[in-house]
Amino acid sequence: MNAVQTFKLTKEFDGLVAVNGVDLEIKKGELFSFLGPNGAGKTTTIRMLCCLLKPTKGSASILGYDVVKTPFAVKRVIGVSPQETILSERLNCWENLALIGKIHGLSSNEVKTRSQELLETMGLMERSKDQVRKFSGGMKRRLSIAMALVSNPQVLFLDEPTLGLDPQSRRAVWEYIAGLKGKKTILLTTHYMEEADSLSDRIGIIDEGGVVALGTAQELKANTFGMRNMVVSTEHLTAEVIADLHSKYSRVAVSKGDLKISHKDLNFKEIVDYLHSRGVTVYSAVLEQPTLEDVFIQITGKKLRD
Amino acid sequence: MKFWEIGKRNLKEIYRNRVVLGFLLGMPLAFMLVFCSAFAGEQASPISMSIVDEDQSQTSAAFIQYLGSIDAIELNEPIHSEESQAQEDLENGKISFYLLIPSGFQAAKQAQQTINLELVYKAADPMLGLQVKPIIEAVGSEFLGVAPPLNVELKGTESKIKNETVNFFAPGIAVFGLMILIATGAGMIAGDREKGFLARMLTTPAKPWDFILGYSLPFIPVLIISTLIYLGVGIGLGLTIVGNLGYAFLIFFLIGLCSIGIAMIVGTLLKSESQAPICWVFIVPMAMISGAWFSVEGMPSAVKSVAEALPFIHAIDASRAVINGSSFSAVMPDIYWLIGWAVVLFATGIMLFRRTMVS
Repeated sequence: MNAVQTFKLTKEFDGLVAVNGVDLEIKKGELFSFLGPNGAGKTTTIRMLCCLLKPTKGSASILGYDVVKTPFAVKRVIGVSPQETILSERLNCWENLALIGKIHGLSSNEVKTRSQELLETMGLMERSKDQVRKFSGGMKRRLSIAMALVSNPQVLFLDEPTLGLDPQSRRAVWEYIAGLKGKKTILLTTHYMEEADSLSDRIGIIDEGGVVALGTAQELKANTFGMRNMVVSTEHLTAEVIADLHSKYSRVAVSKGDLKISHKDLNFKEIVDYLHSRGVTVYSAVLEQPTLEDVFIQITGKKLRD
Repeated sequence: MKFWEIGKRNLKEIYRNRVVLGFLLGMPLAFMLVFCSAFAGEQASPISMSIVDEDQSQTSAAFIQYLGSIDAIELNEPIHSEESQAQEDLENGKISFYLLIPSGFQAAKQAQQTINLELVYKAADPMLGLQVKPIIEAVGSEFLGVAPPLNVELKGTESKIKNETVNFFAPGIAVFGLMILIATGAGMIAGDREKGFLARMLTTPAKPWDFILGYSLPFIPVLIISTLIYLGVGIGLGLTIVGNLGYAFLIFFLIGLCSIGIAMIVGTLLKSESQAPICWVFIVPMAMISGAWFSVEGMPSAVKSVAEALPFIHAIDASRAVINGSSFSAVMPDIYWLIGWAVVLFATGIMLFRRTMVS
């Protein structure tokens, strides 16, 4: 049985299709990342899986429990850290954790033990008795994740868990999430490619409400598109040469004399010879695997989203 | 006991938010201090008045006819010849006060002796007597064609009340204080929804009833503490408890429940916490037309009908009455009205709240 399963999951708002027939199968213990531009449908999908929104069409289940027919069974096995850092501002860390833990049916002793462990892991113990409205954004985010974990859920939803965090806090959260891999099923949404690349077992790229690519990071980079990047350090690069390259290759970018060309079945020698023939000085040339961001842009395009 | 955890959280949020707490308790206290210390008011529309004509003379009949011609006064029919009839109407709540023209009125006029009139009113509504007295004095002097000696004596029907003004204002302002729960409760629910806290809580296994109880129960200690404070301050300012304080408490509790029910309804309809002040558009006019600060006697009948359809006027009238010595059975119609409203408001609030749980 899959931990998360959706079938043609669809959500419409006043005729606007936010999620369009999403089919997903996430195995138990898997860390699955949802990548997508703003408004792609990531959060709407998660809200349906957390029983906050009723699907317009299709179905979804968590550990076999249908999100529409058995919402309270679903809610018993999930933990959610929403996109916005939502806490009870005038409660301290212990009280916030106890609120969620006790609603999930934990005893006072269990809540205490679990809270202590999470507060230590998240580096919040020192300020644990302060009202959280006095916390920094990073501290609030870490507490929000701890609240999602306090009930020891089997399936964890992390909606943009590191959004707005400084690099130190972000790395601390990544380390903690990495430590949960294999122990819990995690569905994570993120804008950070590095986050998805390093943490995920599999990645789903969602755009305009539909899943447009699915696989491991390596599969997406290598197999799905077969794209390769070549970075050439040059001098005397002319506009005519750049225009000519644009016409031949999928992506061409120029930055301070460095030329980056992305294309399927890229021929290293052919490009260097062409540049020499057009009088361009080549200082160095390196072949690279495309990054996840390259894949993302290739799939979702460059158009700005709202 | 999931509702208990949600309720505890909400109570802590209220208790630790000094601005909300201060507003919730401070505003009615300020009103009480101001109103009980000093008062000035004017009557804007005709005052309905009953007459007891013990004199049964041509002069008294002419005086009554003259009173009827004054715009500010509307005479009730019939004109009684014996005070016991008017007294009975007053006790039954049919009238709020009556003017007694004593026997010897005509003779006193002819002999140019001091003329005594009596305004007999409910002690629960002393402001009415204070408002009417100058009108009768002016009208009487004009009719008699002389400057006083005209003596209009104010006579409350209850004599145990030390400070009638406080006994009038304290229950009204206590009910007004409990109406503030509407704004704070609605603001809290709307705020939790706007910030997403409610959505986060809805991803937990808490059931609809846990949320409904969790958001309404915290206001019950608030309403009990508020009522104790209002009554305590009222007693400090001279409130005399002639009747049963327990009955008054029950009435305050019922109107508090009505306010919480309204808060749940408004809270689910508002889009954000910043819209909560819109509740004052309802609270202040309701308090005014329900007689929290002024007598409703003399208000246009349409306005009175609106007030009487709503629960607040019943809470104010009934609490004043029981504090001033009325029996519980005398205020039972008001109690039934309050219970009915509490049930309707809570049922509507629950229905709307459930609807917001899953969109």
